[in-house]
Amino acid sequence: MPGHFQALKTDPNPVHLFEEMMKRLSFLLVFTLLLTLILSACSPAPAPAVTEAASPPATAPTPLPQPTVTLEPMPEPTDEPIILSDGLGRTVTLPAPAQRIVSMAPSNTEILFAVGAGGQVVGRDDFSNYPPEALALLTIGGSMGDYNLEQIVSLNPDLVLAAEINTPEQVKAMEDLGLTVFYLSNPADMEGLYAMLDTVGELSGHKTQAETLAASLSERVAVVEATLSAIETPVTVFYQLDGTEPAKPWTVGPGNFIDLLIRMAGGENIGASLEFAWGQLSLEALLVADPEVILLGDANYGVTVEQVAGRAGWGDLSAVREGRVFPFDDDLVSRPGPRMVDGLEEMARIFHPDLFE
Amino acid sequence: MLKERTARPFLIALLILAVALVLSVMVGSVFIPPGDLFIVLKAALQGQTPSSPELGTFTTILFSIRLPRTVLIAMTGAALACSGSAYQGLFRNPLADPYLIGVASGAGLGAVAAMSLRWPYTTLGLLAVPLAAFSGGLLTVWIVYVLARMGRTLPVTNLILAGVAMSSFATALTTFLMLNSTGELRRALVWLLGGSTLSGWQPVIALMPYWLVGLGALITTGHALNVMQFGDEQAQQLGLPVTRVRRLIIIVASLTTAAAVAFVGVIGFVGLIVPHILRLLVGGDYRRLMPLALLGGAAFLLLADVLARVIMAPQELPVGVITALAGAPFFLWVLRRTRQQNLWG
Amino acid sequence: MLEVNHLSVRYDQKPVLKKVNLRLETGKILAVIGPNGAGKSTLVRALSGIIPAETGRIVFDGHDLANLPPHERARLVAIVPQVRHLPPAFTAWQVVLLGRTPYLNWFGQVSAQDEAIVRQAMEQTRTLELAKRLVSELSGGELQRLLLARALVQTTPIMLLDEPTTHLDLHYQISLLNQVQELVRQPAAISLENGHRSPPAVLVVLHDLNLVARYADQVMLLVDGQVRAYGSQAEVLRADLLSEAFGIPLEVMRSPNGKFPIIVPLMA
Repeated sequence: MPGHFQALKTDPNPVHLFEEMMKRLSFLLVFTLLLTLILSACSPAPAPAVTEAASPPATAPTPLPQPTVTLEPMPEPTDEPIILSDGLGRTVTLPAPAQRIVSMAPSNTEILFAVGAGGQVVGRDDFSNYPPEALALLTIGGSMGDYNLEQIVSLNPDLVLAAEINTPEQVKAMEDLGLTVFYLSNPADMEGLYAMLDTVGELSGHKTQAETLAASLSERVAVVEATLSAIETPVTVFYQLDGTEPAKPWTVGPGNFIDLLIRMAGGENIGASLEFAWGQLSLEALLVADPEVILLGDANYGVTVEQVAGRAGWGDLSAVREGRVFPFDDDLVSRPGPRMVDGLEEMARIFHPDLFE
Repeated sequence: MLKERTARPFLIALLILAVALVLSVMVGSVFIPPGDLFIVLKAALQGQTPSSPELGTFTTILFSIRLPRTVLIAMTGAALACSGSAYQGLFRNPLADPYLIGVASGAGLGAVAAMSLRWPYTTLGLLAVPLAAFSGGLLTVWIVYVLARMGRTLPVTNLILAGVAMSSFATALTTFLMLNSTGELRRALVWLLGGSTLSGWQPVIALMPYWLVGLGALITTGHALNVMQFGDEQAQQLGLPVTRVRRLIIIVASLTTAAAVAFVGVIGFVGLIVPHILRLLVGGDYRRLMPLALLGGAAFLLLADVLARVIMAPQELPVGVITALAGAPFFLWVLRRTRQQNLWG
Repeated sequence: MLEVNHLSVRYDQKPVLKKVNLRLETGKILAVIGPNGAGKSTLVRALSGIIPAETGRIVFDGHDLANLPPHERARLVAIVPQVRHLPPAFTAWQVVLLGRTPYLNWFGQVSAQDEAIVRQAMEQTRTLELAKRLVSELSGGELQRLLLARALVQTTPIMLLDEPTTHLDLHYQISLLNQVQELVRQPAAISLENGHRSPPAVLVVLHDLNLVARYADQVMLLVDGQVRAYGSQAEVLRADLLSEAFGIPLEVMRSPNGKFPIIVPLMA
């Protein structure tokens, strides 16, 4: 090789040399490409696994106050390992109910506390703010899609609970670090929601509590449905997700859980004509549809009824004229969890005040 | 004054790079005491498992998070700075950066398109996104090349215009896809912000061949780029086959950039600013600029990444934000200090 | 010796050179004159290979130049262009050194011999004292001499100069053309790599007819892409031909010492 290279270097055609170099290097490239594909299929082993015995890490989280509502503070003992299939089709195995859980989404945090596993949560994402006890937990990132892997690893969790707002890449990254990750997909309907609660209950050793919770939620839903069975025509509703562009506000479409809740609450979502689960509706279409009720899903971001009423053209909507624009806590319906039933009840109260107190 | 042809700039660059590498490994949200750092390193070198769970955590953090990230960031910075230098020389334009002829927007389109296909969660399925991004970037450059070709020549103006046109088109398509893919919108946004690398050693291994070939080839292009500074006509009259050289350099630079973008996302500013800073400090000779860009680009991006991790701890900022915020004032400072003659004519 | 046979060149369907024949002999200066748009610059560019010929051949020593790769062609033909497109951040030395490009490898490695050749060329053109200065600091005249040095360093048997006196004051116009004349009169001071030891053949495009009268061995009058006249000074520098070509009445007189013709435009 050296001799030939020398000859090439004195070759009168310099570009020829470069192209020769490139040809040789491309063979190398193809070879290493194949090697890469093989290597990645075998997946490099993560760093030496952390041992099971959980002694406190260098950065200990602040002590947690006890959750105010607990039926069974202690997880139930199980003998067999927990094997479940998650939303990405992965099979997740836990030898015992998880004791150190990191929640990657606000919805997961809410569910964990709701099934009584609040005491087992050691870390949460930046946006988890309910219940109030969750605020005391150590945060591990989540704004701008960036999670602090070092923090998560140092918390030494035995389960990381991911949600649909997390990307498969993030799940893989944590998997590669030797962590056990469970990805909870969003539910498509109420049954899906109850299944979600059951799953989290099983993972955290609060199966019975989860079942009880699901049963009580189901009952409340049944009450709402029964009360609404007398209704003949649903109330037309516009749910504003984002109104920063007043001529084209964002709303929910078919396939969105919020759309389902609206219907279950005796409403008719005028966004149902949209193509996708969310999209922009033109102000003209809104005026034509003239919904009876307008819900401001962006009230949490500071949007007020007065603001909306003052927008150009919006004053002609009968809902605005007759004072049927209401702020709405979007967290109740956009986070898959038990509070969705709260959201359902709230909506039903707004749509049909005469039937509910 | 003629810049003295010493090795001093290289030594300084190496020093800065070394400091940046060390900082990148030592800095993070979890503080590893230097004593423990040495123990962990020693144990790993001797092939022993960590003796305590705490050291085990440190080992995981060091070898599975920080070290691969350091290598990834350093190589990406080198790739972007070298490509940027090559493009600035190739197009004789101070505003040229590695994304000029559409690599970034093409990669974004490829990635988002792959995401909307919803590949299953398998090793190959997860590799689909970076692969699609890589292919998208290269495909876009190829289209730009075909559009810009005029007979047997490859005029610079055509390349720039076609590049801008294709970039806009790809970006528009990407936005459309993102809005229509509902569930994948967030995933696409995270990718575009540069935050969703498949972390760990996998991206590093996958990218290594492209970096070795691409960077290795790029740093040899200094002489050809020097000759190209005289304009296409004079360069051809001096014996350089201009169209062929231009095509070769575009291929190599695009490969290198596309590979970087596929795994790390689009980090702006590095490819534009680092060559300028170097040019102000050591002059316009591309034979020195190219290897210096490799060292300087790596150091620059490493330092920016360290800042991104530290400046608002424990929250981490995307490194692209830091490069934009920190790069501009630094550049202006260098410009004022050296007060060189206008280097572009 | 360079032979050009029936060279025709088109730009976008429009013919710019029509069947041009010429011969460049070693040690001789051929001046190309003609009105604007006659195709003089095109001729230079076609000879250097940047523009493809539609028909016709350019042959040097039996080699058809069109078949040669750029770096080999660059060892045969060197251009002194008009001063523009010079990268401002380069030093004078670097500019001249890049004239060695046809002999350098991909990495641009420079040998001691290359540097000696550069030094010699810069001495000859009296630009050596400018070596460390940046292009942006130099005057038009200094830059033009640098470009001449660069062409010299290319050590080619053929040199083409495209209006090299445009930016120069009278002193430098004469100085530059004197240097060119020196080059062709004396055997090459610089040893040529391709074995040629004879002085180069030079083609120079000039606007100033009196400079042509002073320095050219042969003259070619190009009008509208065609050769209107070609031959010695006496044959081409004639009042009737020139007046017709340039569209103004001219008179050709003799210099007081009788050596050179002087061309004077007559205003109506």
